[in-house]
Amino acid sequence: MDLLDHLGSLREGKLSRRAFSRSLLAAGVGVVSMPVARRRAFASSEDQATYFTWGGYDIPDLFVPYREKHGELPNFAVFGGSEEALTKMRGGFVVDVAHPCNQALPRWVATDLFQPIDTTRLSNWPDIMPELIDLPGNKGDGTDVWMAPFDWGQTSVTYRTDIVEVEGEESWDMLWDERYSGRLGSLAAGADAWWCGAIKAGVDFADIDTPEAFDRIAEVMRAQRPLIRTYTDDTTTLEQALASGEMVAAMTWNSSAVVLQSQDVPVKFAKPREGALTWVCGLMIHKEAPRIDAAYDVIDSLLSVDSGKFMISDYGYGHSNTKAFEAFDDATLEGLGLSTHPTEILEAGHFQVPQTQEWETRMNALFEEIKAGF
Amino acid sequence: MSADTYITRPNRALRIYAVIFLIVLYLPVLFLPLFSFNDSIYIKFPLTGFTLQWYADLFAREPVWHALMNSLKVGAVVAVLSTIFGIFAAKAITRYRFPGRGPVVGFVMLPLVVPLIIFGVALLVLFSQMGVKLTLYTVGIGHLIICLPFAIATLIPRFEGFDRSIEEASADLGENAWWTFWRVTLPMIFPGVMASLMLTFTVSFDEFIMAFFLSGTQPTLPMYIWGQLRFPKELPSILALSSIIILASFVIVFLGQWINRGANGRTIRGE
Amino acid sequence: MSEQTAAEADLSKARSERTGRTGRTGRLSRMFYRSEALRGLGLLSPALLFMLAAILVPFGILIVMSFWTASGFDFDTTWSLANYQGFFERPIYMALLKRSLWISGIATVATVVLCYPMAYYVAFHVHRNKMMWIVLITLPFWTSYLLRVFAWKVVLGYEGVINSALMAAGLIDAPLQFLLYSQSAVVITLTHAWAAFAILPIYVSLEKIDRSLLEAATDLGDGPVMRFLRVTLPLSLPGVTSASLLIFIPTTGDYITPALLGGPDAAMIGNLIQKLFGPINNWPMGAAVSIMLMLCIALISGVFILLTIFLRRRIS
Repeated sequence: MDLLDHLGSLREGKLSRRAFSRSLLAAGVGVVSMPVARRRAFASSEDQATYFTWGGYDIPDLFVPYREKHGELPNFAVFGGSEEALTKMRGGFVVDVAHPCNQALPRWVATDLFQPIDTTRLSNWPDIMPELIDLPGNKGDGTDVWMAPFDWGQTSVTYRTDIVEVEGEESWDMLWDERYSGRLGSLAAGADAWWCGAIKAGVDFADIDTPEAFDRIAEVMRAQRPLIRTYTDDTTTLEQALASGEMVAAMTWNSSAVVLQSQDVPVKFAKPREGALTWVCGLMIHKEAPRIDAAYDVIDSLLSVDSGKFMISDYGYGHSNTKAFEAFDDATLEGLGLSTHPTEILEAGHFQVPQTQEWETRMNALFEEIKAGF
Repeated sequence: MSADTYITRPNRALRIYAVIFLIVLYLPVLFLPLFSFNDSIYIKFPLTGFTLQWYADLFAREPVWHALMNSLKVGAVVAVLSTIFGIFAAKAITRYRFPGRGPVVGFVMLPLVVPLIIFGVALLVLFSQMGVKLTLYTVGIGHLIICLPFAIATLIPRFEGFDRSIEEASADLGENAWWTFWRVTLPMIFPGVMASLMLTFTVSFDEFIMAFFLSGTQPTLPMYIWGQLRFPKELPSILALSSIIILASFVIVFLGQWINRGANGRTIRGE
Repeated sequence: MSEQTAAEADLSKARSERTGRTGRTGRLSRMFYRSEALRGLGLLSPALLFMLAAILVPFGILIVMSFWTASGFDFDTTWSLANYQGFFERPIYMALLKRSLWISGIATVATVVLCYPMAYYVAFHVHRNKMMWIVLITLPFWTSYLLRVFAWKVVLGYEGVINSALMAAGLIDAPLQFLLYSQSAVVITLTHAWAAFAILPIYVSLEKIDRSLLEAATDLGDGPVMRFLRVTLPLSLPGVTSASLLIFIPTTGDYITPALLGGPDAAMIGNLIQKLFGPINNWPMGAAVSIMLMLCIALISGVFILLTIFLRRRIS
């Protein structure tokens, strides 16, 4: 009973004041925040839709129309990867709107957790690019779709133009360049990294589920691993490392390069000669969405021109609303690696092909082993 | 008192060690406030300029306040429940002999010595198999498991330390058990109850690992902070939030210390 | 622990004697004893029932699940040892488990060794404002654990505090890379983060030492070193034991610190468990790994406790 004995005396006698002050503090902060919190929090958490999304999308800029209508922001639940999100929802987590990407779409639909979207209820739907709606696994009949496309972009290499010597064309080889061993970064999620590995290994996405493809991709990933400073899903880490020169090149999405450039860091979002990885993400409504009307308002708000402009200018992502692009000239879009014709961009790169759950599990397990050094 | 001096005489090396120890203890924590005033979204040296912008941002950030409220709610409920359970349990453990007492006590204390991740996944599996939705209640249940042992461990010495004959006297005077508890036992163990409430609140308020697996749409404060650590634009205001918490705790501790010193002074004068 | 049981036995004897006196006859006392047991269990029941429901049931399901296998979105519920077989066949599991125990072990030893002098200083060399010192030591631990981990990232980072200072001092030309994203970063952070859990139990056990024992040792001609080794250290062992367990056990399952600071070479078993329940989406395997982790910890803690008991016996 030594342990308890000590805990008892230690906790009661020595820690009580610490704990006391801590709770006082919390109470104090609580009281201070009450005027703010009561006005905002109490009304919102009950009546507003819940939007389950990637971090970074939980910001007021994307919900101007929603806020005008409801007076509040929606509730946000943030995930770090779409697999994590699906796992949580399969575990009984009910939201109104969720934010998957095309490569996960058929698997999400197969879970029977979602309902088709009645597009007649979306005021911005007529402006949505048709190429983005017509995705493998998306419901094509009439006014119903499973996923309303929202943002699209690329996974490529962001590199320091002042440090990295590019030999010839920009290429995925930059992330395998031994001259910069220990100064390269990568996204940790297989949903990005494994596919980029496939591009590097020259595996056709149509064959990515073959045992041979697994071997070839695993081989290039193992070769890359000793060169990598860290694998992370948090873009902050990659951006900070690129800003400081700790990393000279890293696998990122469009937004990292845009954000870094806005901070005057000399970086470029590469157009690798093998092609970048391209993707479309969108919005789905949960089958048991408790606030279905608000859910449609969330989607409509995200599809609005204002949200589109914000996505393009501040994050450098493509948006699904054609009108959002009208505010930008071609040169600006070109600089962001975007175009008013998304198919051009998407077809120029490698567009992810949806895979089965077994494949995802197997791929992720293998990739974890590789990242851990096996 | 010469015996005292050679055991407890000042030891210069130790004192220097203690000072260095404190500096190392504090320095990392103090860098957070430093960067919360820095004019760049990236945390690096050299500092680029002074700004209060992140503090202004913080107050405009509604999710922070939602998360804070969630943590306060869970913390308060968990503190009260675990302390009530803890009072009963501590009384039972210290007062009554019953078969299997040792193993039972060991069992209740188990959460202290099991990595939290295991509790987190075990509960997640249970809830998902039962079809229970993840909410603040599921987080609360998780926190209750970790807090109960702390509550019991805090309360046991209180029950051990008080003279049971007072309770017996109360019973002899015809009070019923509940009244005895209310009038006699509770006042005696009151400091322990307060300590337990505060400690369990603290544990719950700061808990991350269980919340990671068990929270649904409503994040607790640590969950929210975890979510924001990955976004450069959000990070500085999180630093601002943590600076406020650090500052407030420092102020309150010294205030508490000062009030307590006054109390000690009175006791001494009273003598 | 044996002393404790002995003391309990004494206490119970005293109690039964007393109840024997009040009850006058053995039968009455037995009845009282029985009702006492009932009352005890009754009082304990809310906590006990909750803990039974909240610990045994999830653990039961966890154990059951570890014998299932994942198939796509669903579980194949036929019993199979495949997960445990996989645990021993694929090298990653054992390697990460060993690494976790290694990192936690180092961090625990480092914390206890570094904190012991501090606890010793407060217990023996601080005479006024002891409480103030204790408060000072615990103060940094109020900030969120996450933020403290993050703070270390700031300190150890590429353009972090240490590198900036060393470069400004002209000691190095390029930032030191090994500081961050390494096992040492994890050990440093864990040591810092858990310091309070080492200082307080050690301090309490040092405070409990009867000062006259120290005087006696001195009178018998022991120098400071011998006195420390023969009296102070053995008597403070219970605190050291508590501190070690309180730090070692929770840190083996930590995944925040390695995730934020560890880099590829410091991934721990907790990270893998979290991945298995997240992106890898193989809950049964995750359950099996969790159970192996727990067995391992139970084994190590058991050996450790027996060892300290044995040690203490030998000393006394």
